[in-house]
Amino acid sequence: MRGVAKRFGDVTALRGVDFTVAGGEIHGLLGENGAGKTTLMNVLSGLYRADRAEIAIDGRPVVIRSPADALAHRIGMVHQHVELIASFTALENVLLGREGGRWQLHLDRHRHSVEAVARRFGLAVPLDVPVRTLAAGVQQKIEILKALYRGVEILILDEPTTMLTPQEVDVLFATIRTMTAEGLTVIFITHKIREILANCDRITVMQAGVVAATLDRAAADEAILVEMMIGQRPSGMSIGTPAGARVAGAAPLLEVRELVVEADQVARAVDRCSFALAGGELVGLAGVAGNGQRELAEALVGLLPAAEGSIAVAGSEVTRASVRERLAAGLVHIAEDRIEGGVLPGLSVTENLMLGLHRLAFRGRLYDRRAAGDLARRVVAEYAVVAPHEDMPATSLSGGNIQKLMVARAMMLAEITGGRVVVAANPTRGLDVRATEFVRSRLVDFVQHDGAVLLVSEDLDELLQLCDRILVMYRGRIVGDLPRPEFDAYRIGALMAGTRDEVQACA
Amino acid sequence: MRMKAPMAPVLRRVFGGSLVYVGAIAVAAAVSASFIVAMHGDVLVAFRTIVISSLGSFSGIAQTLNKICPLLLGSFAVMLGMRGGFVNIGVDGQIYLGAIAATGIGFALADTGLPAAVMVPALLLAGTLGGAAFGAIPGALRACWGVNEIFVTVMLNFVAYYLTEYLSSGPWNDPVSGEAISVPIPDEATLPMLMPRAGAHSGILLAVLVAILVWWLLSHTVFGYEIRAVGANPRAARAGGISIPWITFMTLSLSGALAGLAGAIEVSGYHNRLILGLTPGYGVIAILIAFLGGKSVGGVAVAAILVSILMVGADSLQRSVGLPASAGFVFQAIVVLCVLLVEAHSARRRGSRTMPHESPRLKSPPSPPRG
Repeated sequence: MRGVAKRFGDVTALRGVDFTVAGGEIHGLLGENGAGKTTLMNVLSGLYRADRAEIAIDGRPVVIRSPADALAHRIGMVHQHVELIASFTALENVLLGREGGRWQLHLDRHRHSVEAVARRFGLAVPLDVPVRTLAAGVQQKIEILKALYRGVEILILDEPTTMLTPQEVDVLFATIRTMTAEGLTVIFITHKIREILANCDRITVMQAGVVAATLDRAAADEAILVEMMIGQRPSGMSIGTPAGARVAGAAPLLEVRELVVEADQVARAVDRCSFALAGGELVGLAGVAGNGQRELAEALVGLLPAAEGSIAVAGSEVTRASVRERLAAGLVHIAEDRIEGGVLPGLSVTENLMLGLHRLAFRGRLYDRRAAGDLARRVVAEYAVVAPHEDMPATSLSGGNIQKLMVARAMMLAEITGGRVVVAANPTRGLDVRATEFVRSRLVDFVQHDGAVLLVSEDLDELLQLCDRILVMYRGRIVGDLPRPEFDAYRIGALMAGTRDEVQACA
Repeated sequence: MRMKAPMAPVLRRVFGGSLVYVGAIAVAAAVSASFIVAMHGDVLVAFRTIVISSLGSFSGIAQTLNKICPLLLGSFAVMLGMRGGFVNIGVDGQIYLGAIAATGIGFALADTGLPAAVMVPALLLAGTLGGAAFGAIPGALRACWGVNEIFVTVMLNFVAYYLTEYLSSGPWNDPVSGEAISVPIPDEATLPMLMPRAGAHSGILLAVLVAILVWWLLSHTVFGYEIRAVGANPRAARAGGISIPWITFMTLSLSGALAGLAGAIEVSGYHNRLILGLTPGYGVIAILIAFLGGKSVGGVAVAAILVSILMVGADSLQRSVGLPASAGFVFQAIVVLCVLLVEAHSARRRGSRTMPHESPRLKSPPSPPRG
């Protein structure tokens, strides 16, 4: 690919990128969020049309205008989140669009060829079970199988490891090696340097829409890659050590006893969970997505009702309290998904900031625009939110700045209510390095001022780095409670995956 | 990420938005003109007729003012609901209920000898409460059991219509009329006139006052903020401690109250009786106006005025150009379609601009595997 450029309105995502992949290699594409990695690959796979691009495959120039074009040139992409039809079986998903026959389904006619592809690349997956019942790692294999069945020879994997346990990651890389041994070319997008170093033959680093460098594995090490990714060495932002300012024997700020939450189809999304958070403690909640962490967090803050058990904040019971009462009691929430559950689209930065605060900050029944504006200007400055004006719609900000706003809102609420407990659900997901560091430093700062944070995260590295203690959830139960000295990614991974003997050892 | 100059986006928000509508209306005018030509009418005469008949004389202005009143209140009722994320299709029914309540109170107080200063407010209050009660039904159903308010309000329109038919052709019927029309309310119960000779009643003043109140409610009260928050993102609003059922109930009740007031004004100011056909589909037109006005208070007010002019003017089209009066509705529909198209187009352009900030999939990952 040569001279690829892409603009979205006022934002230049790619400014003349050159990118070359050799056949049969595992090529790592490294960069911060927003560096343009995914955009570049979306251009290659036909999802976006570049403003300018020359693409050549095996030396022959080609034009790629749609995913179908890309497929015709044997290029396929597996996206960050699996995009399978949950109620279909693996076979139905793989054959989607190629069922054959004009009116009738002839799935079994193709079964042999699907199985042959699966065997060839070592992708053993159950073909006849609805994919929703399968683990994330297996679903991903099905996505890969789907691409390979369509004859893809250049396979792009976008952040394939985010949803996986360490064990599943190992399996994934074993699969990738099998594929390259069979002659495939794999482009592997990630922001995790360790994965790149462990598995790739060559590495391209992107930064702010340009390629910083392409280098061989042998020539790369962690320090070089970090420097290229960020453009400069991050100074004084690293939070390597946890707070550790625990007050021994202090009364717990948040105490959860035998909590049961019932949700949707699953009888017990949270199954008799008990734990406590003391002031000055940053506790992580680890688990593969969908094992009840989200429901637990929502039950804590009052968005889901508790079927059984009790929740107490600083000694007072809030099990049946409304969200507003919990906010007033100082139990504050950073929403799991800032777009779906946090931001008010169409409302201004100021108005977004006031959500939750609006009952506490205004004296009467009137919305005091001046007071709100003053508060907003203070917060925008303090949290370094990049917003041209606090009356701009909040959704016009970038993802990182929206998240800063969400964190600022939670912290302001904590300040006004004297709140001491923050439940933060995946607060750094999708943020670039700087915004991530910022959010983390705010959480650590909160803990250092005797607050308690429950950090729900699917990023195990984040938990290992920040937390004093990690709780592991598996199928609605807390199957592990490890203090910092016992941190071990593989042990936690085994707990997350529900490996039996480990669960029993801890339960 | 490059940042624009601080003022530019604000300006674009204020003026860029309305430019879109000016463009849409220009397109709509062109399409309407070709429609008139196709009907062998004279385009200029048609447009001039519309303007002159609705604004060119005192009686024309009076008619237009009388028309603005229910349309303004009705479209504010729809707009208020929309701000909270609710679709109130039941404005027509709520207008009828307001009219029924107002007429009923008028009859009940007929022989009490109360002065107009008591009677008229009593009628208006009764109408407002009647509409609010009729809005409270879908509000409560949605708040308590999540019943979709669209279906409930549509169905209640029929209830209100046939209740009006029953009352106006049954117990309250004026036998002289031979139609579904009630006997008149007492003179003390009629709204004072604003332009007595031209025939404009003072309802327009009330409507403007209420419009200002709604604007103030939405932008300057905590309650209005909560309505907007729920409308923007109910999940986030809930996480912010806002009671969704309460806001649902209150917003739909208030929406009904505005429509009910419109019904009471129609009785007290215009018809002076309950008649079937009191609202010739104001509720449906109000939805169009709320859309045209972009859900903003100023936009809805401007759109309500323009539509009123068009409606009054279209009545005269038959005489001058030989077009049926229903041509007015065709023009309205064309305007709405053009605005929707232009809006959809600009929304798509906005959409592509925001793409790099967030991953294309804004939704959370698919629901998890549970073995």
